[in-house]
Amino acid sequence: MSTLIQLILSGILVGSVYALMSIGLTLIFGVLRIVNFAHGEFLMIAMYGAWAFTHLFGLNPYIAAVAIVPAMFLFGAVVYWLVINPALDKPHLVVVFATMALSIFLQNAALMAMTADLRDIPPIFNRSIVIGSIHLKVELLLGFAITLLCTFALQWMIRKTYLGKAIRATVQDGEAAMLMGIPVPRIFLITFAGGSALVGLAACVMVPLFSVFPSVGLNFVLIAFVIVVLGGMGSIEGALIGGICVGVVQSLSSYYVAPAFGQMFFFILFLLVMIFRPNGLLGQQGAATIGMNE
Amino acid sequence: MSALLEVRHVSRSFRTTLAVDDASFEVQPGELLGLIGPNGAGKSTLFNLVAGVIAPSSGQILFDGKPIQGWKSHDIARVGVARTFQIPKPYRQLSVIENVMLSAFLREKSIAGARRLAEATLADVGLDAYGGSPASSLTVGLLKRLEVARALAMRPKLVLFDEIMAGLTPTEVGAMTKFVAGLPARGITVIWVEHVLYAIMKTATRMVVVNRGKKIAEGTPTELARHPEVVKAYLGEEMDLA
Amino acid sequence: MSAETIPSLSPRRMAWFPTRGRISWFEIALLLIACALVVSGMASSLQDVLLLSFLFGGLALAWNIAGGYAGLISFGHSAFFGVGAYASTILSTRYGITPWIGIWIGALIAAMFGAVLALICARLRGPFFILSTLAFAEVVRIGALNWSSLTGGAEGLSIMPAPSLIGMVFASKAAYAALMLFYLVAVFAITKGLEASRFGYYLFAIRDNEDAAGAAGVNPLLGRTAALALSAALTGIGGSLFAQYFLYLDPTYVISPELSFQFALLPAVGGLGTAIGPVLGSFLITPLSELLRSYLGSSAVGLHLVIYSFGLIVVMLYFPAGLAGALDKLTRRGRPR
Repeated sequence: MSTLIQLILSGILVGSVYALMSIGLTLIFGVLRIVNFAHGEFLMIAMYGAWAFTHLFGLNPYIAAVAIVPAMFLFGAVVYWLVINPALDKPHLVVVFATMALSIFLQNAALMAMTADLRDIPPIFNRSIVIGSIHLKVELLLGFAITLLCTFALQWMIRKTYLGKAIRATVQDGEAAMLMGIPVPRIFLITFAGGSALVGLAACVMVPLFSVFPSVGLNFVLIAFVIVVLGGMGSIEGALIGGICVGVVQSLSSYYVAPAFGQMFFFILFLLVMIFRPNGLLGQQGAATIGMNE
Repeated sequence: MSALLEVRHVSRSFRTTLAVDDASFEVQPGELLGLIGPNGAGKSTLFNLVAGVIAPSSGQILFDGKPIQGWKSHDIARVGVARTFQIPKPYRQLSVIENVMLSAFLREKSIAGARRLAEATLADVGLDAYGGSPASSLTVGLLKRLEVARALAMRPKLVLFDEIMAGLTPTEVGAMTKFVAGLPARGITVIWVEHVLYAIMKTATRMVVVNRGKKIAEGTPTELARHPEVVKAYLGEEMDLA
Repeated sequence: MSAETIPSLSPRRMAWFPTRGRISWFEIALLLIACALVVSGMASSLQDVLLLSFLFGGLALAWNIAGGYAGLISFGHSAFFGVGAYASTILSTRYGITPWIGIWIGALIAAMFGAVLALICARLRGPFFILSTLAFAEVVRIGALNWSSLTGGAEGLSIMPAPSLIGMVFASKAAYAALMLFYLVAVFAITKGLEASRFGYYLFAIRDNEDAAGAAGVNPLLGRTAALALSAALTGIGGSLFAQYFLYLDPTYVISPELSFQFALLPAVGGLGTAIGPVLGSFLITPLSELLRSYLGSSAVGLHLVIYSFGLIVVMLYFPAGLAGALDKLTRRGRPR
């Protein structure tokens, strides 16, 4: 029984970290209506960044976030200007191929720069919080806390601030928003860069938990898509719920199902969700209805 | 005479809202049935139920005496029901004639045969000058005509028109009305959903009025213009029914 | 973004430049040059480049049937390539069945994999379709790695390098080049046939607007499944041919996201949804990548993909209709569209 509770609790914690990594994707999709296939590679780069900070300066990755997050914001802005913006007024396939190519580009650039070796950082806290027979890693609890904080802050920002209102207006009707004097292109830029900055934050939380290697993004991008589909495209709370579901499923299946399955876990999970729940947990608009026609 | 299309006690709900509530009506061969109602009355849902885009929650839809409810749209198309789309859905990367050929394939299996049928249909709707142009280059008015051509090239027994007048100039509306009015004489039965009322009032042989998912009245245009329920349903829209 | 000229209604005289559904002088000239190169007796390393250009041209055309014509953008085609390669190789090395037969069995199995993928993705569109193809190929790759009793796992499989006609192993590169050219021409002919057939039109319709296709009596799921199965079968044949040439297979090379990406890249650069595009794409990119590989050697793993992907971004942003589109524009000056 306590094993089960242990598995579920750590699943929830890992899942919340996954959610943090997916928020950027869902935000960008909700506002720009495009899918950034290089999302996983953004994460990979930011993870290398956080790893390098620890490795070179001995800084812990939570402090490194102070540099990584703005750096990723800038990186997102540059990518937006060079690749996304020119592709927005072209057929949908252009964005698909361009971001897919960007993902291959970043992956192989990382391969050349860093080799295929797995990179880890030494444990930061080296202990767990113990409640009865339940052990919870401090890094995971911290990740959980940061995710919750981040979700609430974003929700507040979107509900209350002018920027948030402008973003919501753009989501509802870009053309009308433009007519009302909202600078839609700038909203797009801020959303894309902001989404990338969130990926930077997620990377800092993830580096103590996962190894980094050039193709790590593929695993995570699939998880991120599963979460976004389960929780509903464009929904921040949805991402949190979806993330926790994925975390729990992963935690349980890695314990109760053969570990050989572990290698395939992300892919099988993705396909299963796509087959059985393409419209999300609550049947929102999702994978089945979003096409490339029009 | 047996009905070509029979809708029997059909309901369809989306989550908690009942979009179509126990609707029943029938269409005889050779009729031009107008289906009207205020915005959000359930016209589109009813239309999509017959066209097979969605399945009814309950009830029966018979075509030529055969139940077709719950069939996929391509199967319904094959038994002789054609439709147009309110927002035109052309194959953008194909030429105008190829757009029509794709419908013609239902009756003409060879490329050459389909091309001939498509050419004839294009001439019929007055698009013959545009055959070689890419469909993506057409204006809204021409796209609506392309929708009609695609439906007719299927040589349907029943054709469903979904607001083919919206976005047309008054001259175009006049020409299209005349064209549609001539279809029953050619053996094509028509169900016509339209928001531009004066066109449909002039041409329809019979009308069905829906509001809030229910059929509220049925009869000839002149009967309906005086029907109190119908007038009430339209009052909010300030429609002149004469 | 299909680039080739929409066929005119004028009488059927042979066209000078690529036209949908018809053979043009341009294509005949290309074929003659290709034949001349095969028999020219060039240096062995150049023949490698030549035959790979043919092979990848055929593979790009096979991908294009799903990606370009039916709009099913796949980044998982290396799964079909791998399935074809493994099927013919296992049949010949373990059961003594000649690859001349094994290729067809491999094509059939690959077609079944393609159909399964189409059914998995029945309800998916756009990005989710694409990611599913990626995930599908990863499952196949990891499966092949772990099922080592069948596939030899990470150690891979080797084909006896003893030349024999029955074993489809040749001593001369020219023979391989001829074989690959034959494959390319066959897939090209199938593509052209598709363009001029009812089935081809169904695929265009499903790609451009699925709802409208359904309303015209076209079964979209059937069309998508058939297109993906055909594309997968042809890709599987390419995989078998590759195995017969390379004489060695291992899952991490023949089933990899990189290879899948290359299959998609060549038609994208050449021109999606055209017959000549993938061929031009392969004739441009394959020699380039072989050149890069031989100059850089193994010192720079991944550099060729860095350059490819960069090139693809530029092509997509500035020439979305690809080489075929550029050719079309060049030869169609003055004529109204």
